[in-house]
Amino acid sequence: MDGAIDQRLGVALATEDAEAEVPPLKRNRRGGFVRFAAIGALLIVFVVFAIAAPGFLTRGNLTNVVEQSTVLALLAFGMSIVIIGGGGDVIRGGIDLSLGANLGLCAAVFTVAVNAGLGDATATVLTFAAGASVGLVNAFAVVGLGILPLLATLAVMNICAGLELVLTQNTVLTANSPLLAYIAGATPLGFSLTDWTFLGTALLLLVVVHATPWGLRLQAVGGSVQAARSAGLRVPLYLALSYVSAGLLVALAAIVQAARLSGSSPGSGDILLSVVLTSLMSAVFSRRLLPSIGGTILSVLFIGCLINGFQLLNVSSYWVNGVQGVLILLVVAVRSVSRRSGEV
Amino acid sequence: MSFKARILAGLVFAFGFAATTAYADDVPSLKGKRIGITVIGTEHYWDLKAYQGQMDEVKRLGGTAIALDGGRNDSRQISQIQTLIAQKPDVIIEQLGNGPVLQPWLKKVRDAGIPLFTVDTISPHSINDTTSDNFGIGEKLALQLASDIHGKGNILVFNGFYSVPVCAIRYDELKLVLKAFPDIKIITPELRDVIPNTVQNAYSQVTDMLSKYPNKGDIAAVWSAWDVPQVGATQAIVAAKRPEVRTYGVDGSPDVVKMVKDPASPASAVAAQQPYLIGKTAVDNAARYLAGNHDLPPYTFVPSVLVTKENAAEAEKALGQAS
Repeated sequence: MDGAIDQRLGVALATEDAEAEVPPLKRNRRGGFVRFAAIGALLIVFVVFAIAAPGFLTRGNLTNVVEQSTVLALLAFGMSIVIIGGGGDVIRGGIDLSLGANLGLCAAVFTVAVNAGLGDATATVLTFAAGASVGLVNAFAVVGLGILPLLATLAVMNICAGLELVLTQNTVLTANSPLLAYIAGATPLGFSLTDWTFLGTALLLLVVVHATPWGLRLQAVGGSVQAARSAGLRVPLYLALSYVSAGLLVALAAIVQAARLSGSSPGSGDILLSVVLTSLMSAVFSRRLLPSIGGTILSVLFIGCLINGFQLLNVSSYWVNGVQGVLILLVVAVRSVSRRSGEV
Repeated sequence: MSFKARILAGLVFAFGFAATTAYADDVPSLKGKRIGITVIGTEHYWDLKAYQGQMDEVKRLGGTAIALDGGRNDSRQISQIQTLIAQKPDVIIEQLGNGPVLQPWLKKVRDAGIPLFTVDTISPHSINDTTSDNFGIGEKLALQLASDIHGKGNILVFNGFYSVPVCAIRYDELKLVLKAFPDIKIITPELRDVIPNTVQNAYSQVTDMLSKYPNKGDIAAVWSAWDVPQVGATQAIVAAKRPEVRTYGVDGSPDVVKMVKDPASPASAVAAQQPYLIGKTAVDNAARYLAGNHDLPPYTFVPSVLVTKENAAEAEKALGQAS
């Protein structure tokens, strides 16, 4: 049964290719050039920092970059999965603007649960339940009610932000628990648990999204809903699962963040712009100019290196915001130009 | 205000300022030293002045500053501190922020063998904390409030930043003073001040409370641990035409001192600090430490003054805010 669907899927993806005005060969070549340029830019930044920024290449610093990027990475993975499933169109395609606010909510849920004496296990379960529930609400709004993801998740973002305020009264809540202490202090094989979380999740998602039937079908749904449907895929289920997966990744990120900040702190929503940036940027690392897990890893590390390198070079942190804005413009411009010439 | 009182107030200012500037010139050079400065944010008058005070003093003493602004985001400040530790500067100065979030990371600074100084952050890991005497500030402000409303009435309290150690001290002092005034009641639930949009948010919260308690005498005063919510509260009271409600706050931003000076404004008092001098003093302390003086006290208190309707004009001049 699965084999049959995947066979039809091949046809569906081929149909999608045929629909584009540009021949696949030319498209691949252009996409290849963008990818080449993007990887080139990443390498140049890396080499410049390695030469100019004191201490950039030390092991301690590089693990710091990974550690500081983990929360962003987990959220960006979620965003990429949603975009892969919902399609790359910035307006009508998949997007989850509630990720940042959901992070704040999940961190608050974990902290409040620990402080209520529920213990780490229960608090963890509640946190994942909260993250998944937010994903389900998104899925219901997008799939069930047919609201544009951009608007649906914007509304859910506000719901999450409101619930976080209810739980925290907009104050910093401190939490101490064995789990948080373990995450903050443990260094198995010389790397922090946060580093391992980044690595483990990245490897798992690389396989799940790019090498399992589920992942390939998710990509098919994002590529063309009609083709996926005619191939017999349950499109609503895949769309819904993409939002729920994002919610679960947020919950994991929230626990990592709670360990880092010793509890919950207002302002988690600020991360949204970086999440959107890294996920959109991941597209320029792929041949088909669509977000991918591998691309997300590269763009998260790119942003992480940029922030870290600027600090090591003693360049004002204010520049980072500006550079992030310019990068978003660049990435969206590349995608828009490609789209106009019928490439994506 | 009597002539005698004016002279006295003048002397207090003169003494206070002289006391902190007298030893300012014996500060050792910072030539060749890298000073890491991490601040939670710079968007408010106090933050910015204290930050500028540090930057200018590092430059004056010939050092290099690695300056980092957390943009009022704990997560960003923590990442900056983490990278800063890896940079191994000669000293790190940390300014404000949320105590519980910061403490484990301040410990890591010390564990890495980097001397740590703080501005307005109480921490067992800090060699020296340069700050105002917030115990005194909280007590004087509360006593002024109690005295102005004749020891009786309901008050609104903004208590959104109890996690910031200096705000906690001021709030605790308020509660301590109010124990002696059983007829003054804090309206519950307390209000939560927020960042950003502090002024607009305080304005709408106080407007709502004035509607909820519509009669003259229902609310006697509004207290906040800093003066940006005080601005919103004062504006809301003026707009609602309830000038009998008085406002109190801490920091002494120029716009608030001006409000207090205006006899018609509900802003009754603000405890004015000297943030620029606080920042400068922190760097001076770090420079002394690096030059071998390891006998610094855990706290350096920079004088502050309670600005009231009576002394606002002189205070404005003494604080260097008179135009």
